[in-house]
Amino acid sequence: MDRRRFLTRLAGPGVLVGAVLAAAVIGAIMLAALGANPLEGYWALIEGAFGGGRKLADSALKAMPLLLVGVGITVSFRAGVINIGGEGQIIAGAILSTLFVMALPGIPRPLLLPLVVLVGAAGGALWGGMAGVLKAYAGVNEILSTIMLNIVAVQILNLLLRGPIMDPAEIERGSRIPQTVRLSSNADLPVLPGGTRLHLGVVIAVVMAAACYYLLFRTTQGLRIRAVGHNPYASRYAGMSIKRNIILALVYSGAMCGIAGVTLVFGSLGHRLATDGGATTFTGAAGFNGIVAALFGGLHPLWTIPAAFLFGALLVGANAMQRAVQVPAALILALNGLVVVFVVGTIRIRERLSAAARLESERVRSSSAGPAAEPDAVHEAPP
Amino acid sequence: MPKKLRSTTPFAWAVALLSLALLAAACGGDDDSRGRSADDPFRVALVAPSARNDLAFTQSMFDSLARLSQDYNIDIQVTDGTFVIEDAAVAIRSYADDGFDMVIAHGSQYGGSVSEIAQDFPDTVFAWGTSRDTFGLSNVYSYSVASEQGGYVNGVLGARLTESGTIGVVGPIEVGDIKAYIDGFVNGAADTDPSVTVNVNYIDSFSDVALAAEAAQAHVDAGADVMTGVSQMTVGATGVANEHGVYWFGAQSNQTPLGEDIVVASVVYSWEFQLSQILDDMLSGELNGRVIVADLANGGLRMVYNPNVLLSVEDRAAADAAEEGIKAGSISIGVG
Repeated sequence: MDRRRFLTRLAGPGVLVGAVLAAAVIGAIMLAALGANPLEGYWALIEGAFGGGRKLADSALKAMPLLLVGVGITVSFRAGVINIGGEGQIIAGAILSTLFVMALPGIPRPLLLPLVVLVGAAGGALWGGMAGVLKAYAGVNEILSTIMLNIVAVQILNLLLRGPIMDPAEIERGSRIPQTVRLSSNADLPVLPGGTRLHLGVVIAVVMAAACYYLLFRTTQGLRIRAVGHNPYASRYAGMSIKRNIILALVYSGAMCGIAGVTLVFGSLGHRLATDGGATTFTGAAGFNGIVAALFGGLHPLWTIPAAFLFGALLVGANAMQRAVQVPAALILALNGLVVVFVVGTIRIRERLSAAARLESERVRSSSAGPAAEPDAVHEAPP
Repeated sequence: MPKKLRSTTPFAWAVALLSLALLAAACGGDDDSRGRSADDPFRVALVAPSARNDLAFTQSMFDSLARLSQDYNIDIQVTDGTFVIEDAAVAIRSYADDGFDMVIAHGSQYGGSVSEIAQDFPDTVFAWGTSRDTFGLSNVYSYSVASEQGGYVNGVLGARLTESGTIGVVGPIEVGDIKAYIDGFVNGAADTDPSVTVNVNYIDSFSDVALAAEAAQAHVDAGADVMTGVSQMTVGATGVANEHGVYWFGAQSNQTPLGEDIVVASVVYSWEFQLSQILDDMLSGELNGRVIVADLANGGLRMVYNPNVLLSVEDRAAADAAEEGIKAGSISIGVG
């Protein structure tokens, strides 16, 4: 690789690092303004996210739903469908899988676990598919429908947790906390060996990312989804069904989010479905943060893995920073927001640099292999 | 296959690094230093849903801990803003893992997590509230307040102050001490003046300030000239009350700073009543997990009046009489 080509390829990640550093500098100013030592704060953030097995595990667990939502979002975005309904699809998956386990708690563990994941995926797929059908057959803008379906899902969750599936002990005591009973331990996601909280959900998330990569880039169906997203008119001309592929993209996307809901319930420390009335108290806003992770990963399922991990680490580290320098929680939210704004703000720059890197690759290849060389697969290139 | 190698190599590095990190996570334990000498302070952690300066639920606990630190040798760390239940659970577990002597899980919604985590850390005291359940564990103390008592006193005053005959109540979720306070308020108003209408609205959220403001506006539009509310989201409602000059009755923390001219009185939770008992147990070395309830009689619940809002002698006397009646047991609130 010659020097020019190397520098061109390095520029994209360099801009990304620069964006994160710029956010960190502004964050440092805010920390100093509040009387906290920025160096101490940032060290606590890094140590809190990466300092030892337990903390790395916490970061991975925080990244898990972001990754699942992120790869789901990637599939729908690749189809040209902007799915903002991750929150609702997470909740749909969580509700359906919880109902399933409450109805059939005695199923043996080896059978129950895969069934729970499948049922959760079905719940999310159903919720995503509804938006797909609305878009395909009624022309309803998917941004509107998915956001509205988020709200519907939250209300269904509240309705169920206030009555039919509320822990009977809560009703008896009169405390009426909106949560289910502790769900069957047969459905607990098994903790991996090593003495940390890391559980099977993380493995499932990584496997699903790989599966989505395979779907998008190694199957005919994936090609159709990408083609429809890239140019629906040309796709129709080539005989592809736009409606079918839009619906399918949202079904796949919803299924991933539904599995995220499963991991949030059956991998939680409370081992139950609980809320305080708002969506984010259950989802932790994973339905929205997953979009950021997907964009950060260049809408590539495999690159979403490190992107989600970084965001998970940031969220975990930020909590550690709050503990270490005792700054208000609002500042932590602001710091996270700064990173998102700066990183997402450089997308266009990184896209241009990525395109330049591809052109450079093609130039080198054509000069070495002659005019018969094929161009790179555009969508497969890393961000 | 040069194309494949080029696009895969950086990704392979990233995945390899991530795998190593996860492997380290799975295989590596962390040091757990629990040894402490008698002179060491008790390490107390507070995990709370909203901000420590919310002028409501979390601040009441934060202020109580600050007051307690004058009498007990305690080192306090706070994780606030954990509305996400799983985030709170992780924080609770992390503090226990780090060898903290007491972890305060300040939110009834954290109970499910506490019941699971406390079993793994028998040497750590978990204080959980507001609640009335210790899960049968000696290291779990459950704290609550007879908030219906303060609600009743506020209701008595509210009914006397309203001129329109309509009072608005903005509640978050119909649970625990929240419901008790509101039910007490409604009964206090009804016992004072049965003709007064008290409109109660639960907005289904502890944190949605904008929704609380909308609910308060709806109450004002319905003719309310007196309002009350509980939890962190009331900041939105007090904004509307300020705008329209509507009397406000606070709960949990002293909410006078939210409306110097409109906040009449606040029912203040003084958690040191419960926490001091738990710390005494810890000092004695004998954990005896139990339910501890604060009320007006034992001083864990206090009425605080705003000196800027002048009450007539009759109104203040009626409130004081209600308070004394509750303490003496001569007034039945009809709640709980």
